[in-house]
Amino acid sequence: MAQFNRFTGIFPLFRAIKGIKVNHSSNYKSAIALENLYPNSKLTLTTPSKIPETNEKFNGYIPVKELQITYSRSSGPGGQNVNTVSTKVDLRFHLESATWLNEDIRAKLLEIQKNKLNKEGYLVIKSDLTRQQHMNLADCLSKLRKMIWAACAADAPAPAPSAEFLEMARRRKEKAARERLLEKRSRSMTKQDRQAPSLD
Amino acid sequence: MAVNRNVVDRALAVLRTLPRVSLYNLKDHEHRKKRSARGQHGGGTHGHGKKFRQNYLPLGFESGNTPFHLRFGMEKYYKRYRLEREYPPVSLLMLQKMIDTNRLDTTQPIDLSSICNSGVYSMNINFNHHGVNLTDEEGFDQFCAKINIEVQWASEGAIAAIERNGGVITTSYYDPLCLHAVTDPARFFLKGDPIPKRMIPPEDAIEYYSSADNRGYLADPEKVSLARLALAQKYGYELPKIEDDPDYTMLTMRKDPRQIFYGLEPGWVVSLKDKAILKPKDKELLEYYRT
Repeated sequence: MAQFNRFTGIFPLFRAIKGIKVNHSSNYKSAIALENLYPNSKLTLTTPSKIPETNEKFNGYIPVKELQITYSRSSGPGGQNVNTVSTKVDLRFHLESATWLNEDIRAKLLEIQKNKLNKEGYLVIKSDLTRQQHMNLADCLSKLRKMIWAACAADAPAPAPSAEFLEMARRRKEKAARERLLEKRSRSMTKQDRQAPSLD
Repeated sequence: MAVNRNVVDRALAVLRTLPRVSLYNLKDHEHRKKRSARGQHGGGTHGHGKKFRQNYLPLGFESGNTPFHLRFGMEKYYKRYRLEREYPPVSLLMLQKMIDTNRLDTTQPIDLSSICNSGVYSMNINFNHHGVNLTDEEGFDQFCAKINIEVQWASEGAIAAIERNGGVITTSYYDPLCLHAVTDPARFFLKGDPIPKRMIPPEDAIEYYSSADNRGYLADPEKVSLARLALAQKYGYELPKIEDDPDYTMLTMRKDPRQIFYGLEPGWVVSLKDKAILKPKDKELLEYYRT
């Protein structure tokens, strides 16, 4: 960009000078403007506040404000970086008083994840998987989500075995029985052959 | 010769079932497989004559079997290299530094022109560079500016960092002709050419720029709003309410997909000497620049 010296006089015009009002708005609308590509969509940027309610117990939303997140240094090799950068993430919340979770899920989590609960009743999730703090936080949240989904699935009845599975299971049983009998008969013949032949 | 009638019948019965004799089921006689010295005048000396002179075998020769360097096919490493677009990176740390040192104005939307004019970023269109790739390798935790930025490629972490601070990020495509105008607007305006209209991305890029997850400029805005929330949930930050922001107008300012400069339409001629903008009046031209 700075190769053409005869243009150096022009560059200062375009340096970032705060405060100078530039008219950025324009009424220009081409044939491929977003209005024409998506005529039924709202074009303004919004922040959805309410997550669409579903019949399921958990729709994936976790209020991060209710969680206590702390950062510390990770373990393992890494020299100056691992010694100074706080990449380990500790995520905890009091499970029994977590009103944002469905009651059934809360009870199920208390049961399944009792090894992750501490004396005060806090569910503790830690991660130092990556070298970056934000990725470790994402990992913690994903672990939490997986726990909650697993708790939802634990309540659900096991799906009935399919017809193919039942047929395969039946065939397997019959084959096993056949092989067992073959083995048994073969052994029996061997034993009989050890006896003296009868003259009848 | 007395041949057993039974044998003959059986042979004929077998013959009836066998396939027809053809080139595909004929085999050479075994003695033909013997390797003979190939080459001119009977071979054996690999082109070095028969009078006991120096007989170096060809380099890599493995006494007849296909040499190692000829066994494997060519690997065309550079076959489509001209089509591979490159996006020289700008890390979040670099972007924060540019903002802190007043090289970028956060009160206005930031686009490729602003980044190139900052003097700290360089790209070469001749090397197939198509713009800025915003990476989150460095500076995710240090980034704290609220900006409206338009880049050409962005990693998920970079998008999260910008939106976490209440900003807006969009990824857009500039075709090479437009890149000449965008990367050096001063030089382009001196030419006196009309501002070109942006072409749609090539086939392998259109999916990227139509996806809300990448904040593409051709994506559905409703889906983008939902994707913002999904990303906030993934990375564990509270999404700031952008509608309540006093800079909402500036943050949601966007170029039309055919536009390359804010506030300037394709087809206009910017005359720096006369300090004027010349707009086309011809119907055909207007139609061309608006489609």
